[in-house]
Amino acid sequence: MIYFYWYLGIGAVVLAVVYGAHHLTKKKESDSLRDLLEAVNPDRKKLSYRILNNFVAPVLAAILVVVVWPVAIYLKVKELFQKKESYVSPEELEFAVESEHLLERLTVEEIERLEVITDPLKAAPDLPFGHLNAAWQEFLQGKADGVELWSFSTQWQTTWGRKELRCGYAVVQDGAPGAYFLTVCKAVLE
Amino acid sequence: MAMCTNPLSDYFAMGGVNPRFESNCTALWRGYVGSWEVVDDRLYLVGINGTLEGGADATLATIFPDYPDRVFAHWYSGTIRIPKGKQLKYVHMGYGSTFERDLLLEIERGVIMATRIHHNGTADSDNDPEGYEVGAMTVFPRTSRGDQESA
Repeated sequence: MIYFYWYLGIGAVVLAVVYGAHHLTKKKESDSLRDLLEAVNPDRKKLSYRILNNFVAPVLAAILVVVVWPVAIYLKVKELFQKKESYVSPEELEFAVESEHLLERLTVEEIERLEVITDPLKAAPDLPFGHLNAAWQEFLQGKADGVELWSFSTQWQTTWGRKELRCGYAVVQDGAPGAYFLTVCKAVLE
Repeated sequence: MAMCTNPLSDYFAMGGVNPRFESNCTALWRGYVGSWEVVDDRLYLVGINGTLEGGADATLATIFPDYPDRVFAHWYSGTIRIPKGKQLKYVHMGYGSTFERDLLLEIERGVIMATRIHHNGTADSDNDPEGYEVGAMTVFPRTSRGDQESA
């Protein structure tokens, strides 16, 4: 019987260590996250859910740790090692114009002549790129003297797998495309 | 009728000035609803209903001061999806729900090039909901949590 008490005693110590470690490393649930989770699962607001989540589940977990503490130690050690190899989400790919996407070298005047917007209901300014004229002017201001402007078109796949057709105009310096101005960005259906 | 596409998002992505809308509802994270009209195969934005981060109402003039009544959506190229008929399957995420039919408008730089109808199936019951709707949402109050507690 004494061995059984020793076993439970060690279990109680393991529980204290696991509980302490959990409280030290646990991140507090932010208000915005709580709002979001409650929106997705309205049951979270119910008293029954809170009793289960905040009282019944922790008590059952504590009893389990005391009774089968070797398993708890195994799981904790496994978790520690897994953290080192934890999944790192891929960084979102950033679109960039490449040399093979370039179509034709054009002057500012040629582009602006091509891109004047006209609307019979006069719901857009008769200017190059219409409502986006200010953005175009800003793009030109950021362009260094002596660089070239090229039209481009390419299909691009985002990090999340969506295929898009992207067209526009890119600044090209010494053959290398840099900043770009988008005129078309639309999903390509398979 | 409701459409499951956001052409104004492309305007912001292409460099148009985004006045920063306030998101106060889980059913409308982008913070505004645009009203659109097709006249002679051209797509026009004719209204915006939303709230800016400062609390002011957003209108078409907020984004297009010189065009407060009608804006030609020349920046938009893509497919506009307009769901029609009864709901076949509800998905509580974005525009994930499916309906009996989708009216698809193929648009190039604001001009409709083609229209087609895609049939997705027939609803099992006459009682199934008709038209686009959101099943549930949470609306966040404008006042901050701290303000509420101190009030």
